Amino acid sequence: MFHWLEKHPFFFAVGVFVVIAFAGLVEILPNFAQASRPVIGTAPYSTLELAGRHVYIKNSCNACHSQLVRPFKSETDRYGHYSLSGEYAYDRPFLWGSKRTGPDLWRVGNYRTTDWHENHMKNPASVVPGSVMPAYKWMFSNKADINTAFAEQLTVAQYFSVPYNQSVPMKDGTTKVVKMGGSVAEANAIALEEAKIIAADMKDQDVKDTVARGEIPEIVALIAYLNSLK
Amino acid sequence: MNKLYLWGIIIIAVMLGATYLSVGGSKGGLNGDIVNMLAVAGAVSLVIITVFVVVKYVRQMQVDSASGELLKDNWDGIGEYKNEVPTGWAVMFLLTMVWGMWYFVIGYPVNAYSQIGEYNEDVAVHNSKFETKYKDITGEKLVEMGESVFLAECKVCHGISADGIDGAAANLNKRIDEKSVKHVIEKGSNNKLLGMEMPMPDRNGLLNANTGALITDAEIETVSKFVANKMSGAGADIFAGTCAACHGEDGKGLDSVAPSIATYTPTLVSNVLTHGKKGVIGVMPKFDRLNDKQKEAVGAYITSLNK
Repeated sequence: MFHWLEKHPFFFAVGVFVVIAFAGLVEILPNFAQASRPVIGTAPYSTLELAGRHVYIKNSCNACHSQLVRPFKSETDRYGHYSLSGEYAYDRPFLWGSKRTGPDLWRVGNYRTTDWHENHMKNPASVVPGSVMPAYKWMFSNKADINTAFAEQLTVAQYFSVPYNQSVPMKDGTTKVVKMGGSVAEANAIALEEAKIIAADMKDQDVKDTVARGEIPEIVALIAYLNSLK
Repeated sequence: MNKLYLWGIIIIAVMLGATYLSVGGSKGGLNGDIVNMLAVAGAVSLVIITVFVVVKYVRQMQVDSASGELLKDNWDGIGEYKNEVPTGWAVMFLLTMVWGMWYFVIGYPVNAYSQIGEYNEDVAVHNSKFETKYKDITGEKLVEMGESVFLAECKVCHGISADGIDGAAANLNKRIDEKSVKHVIEKGSNNKLLGMEMPMPDRNGLLNANTGALITDAEIETVSKFVANKMSGAGADIFAGTCAACHGEDGKGLDSVAPSIATYTPTLVSNVLTHGKKGVIGVMPKFDRLNDKQKEAVGAYITSLNK
């Protein structure tokens, strides 16, 4: 066997690789699989939140904002508990980011509110003096793409077993069911229900009117997404 | 004398000469610097040791010859002798195996470095330092701490001067504004300002003792102005008849019944920070991340703004 291996460099190299990789395999993989399971309190994104996530990605928010709280006192003082890998179980793709022109947003839902986001997205410098963030006024008139969000929900539910319409455990011991529509119309209706709750806390009359008409501006979806980051 | 030794001496001389030229000959020199001296000492010993070792082994190749029984395997005509494993090597090998087992079973699992562990230690050290340093902080110092916490956590909504940035958040330079009083009377309120559930009824539960009827629109208007105007002006009678039963004659609240609406108190502010708040302006999130001392400090700062 060894004589044969010594005469065949290719298979020898394969053998060496297997022997060395084995340690990595048994040490890293089980740990990795365990850590990437959703932690308690992590729920899948609802239709509206997912549409807001698409708005977030479309406007490249992740170019200036990270979504990863590192385990340092200075960070946890400012942003809350450090991030756990399982919290990203339903993030496809994750938006960790490596550049912080603005602050981290992974737990922004804990310390900012709907009305604050509304003021801030209209004119960041009005609430954060000296802010270099541009205004995102078009989000108040553009409509959120609920159909695409629903398509993503269907895909991840089918191929990655994301638990929509199932109860997931929350931190306070209760359970939560994130609904996914059975049809496009149903998904739009569910998203509109969520949008109404957000719009009720907003001041912009145009946004309120749009939601009352049955359409959802991007800003409502984005705020729903930001509020879900906890 | 062997030619080899002669070459060795020549090479040493040349290398040391080059070293001398590059150090002493340049403008730099040693400058009496210990690091420079160490570097030169290292260079000199390296040259000498290298030449000695090379000479030793070249000499060995020239004069040594090998003998013994050959293994049956050979590789392209190059064979190996059947030699015993050197004792020192064998002992080291066994010791390494023992150490490896220890490390695998005890050494690594018990003493493994953990990023989170380091973080936890950091936080514990910091917290205990914070506690001892600021345990007895009071008065002016507490207000200063409150201001710095305010500037870090609260100014984003309430503004650097705590004026609420044109209505984006509450103006903390006064206890309450007219809009809020009106909203609370009309809609009721349940903000745990006393640290516990103690809801205030909406207008359908607010009786004006003077008239014996529910509070009217005109009365709400007047009493809101009265409260927002630091409990002065017209409306004192409505306040006495409707609000004073819970909020006290002077509006400073009653223990376990209703919060002060005339002044801020550190406890009131602490409770808002702990539970968050919802009012006419919007929702204020809770600030659980602050510790009790920091909450107390923010309370002292807000109270001091209203002196």
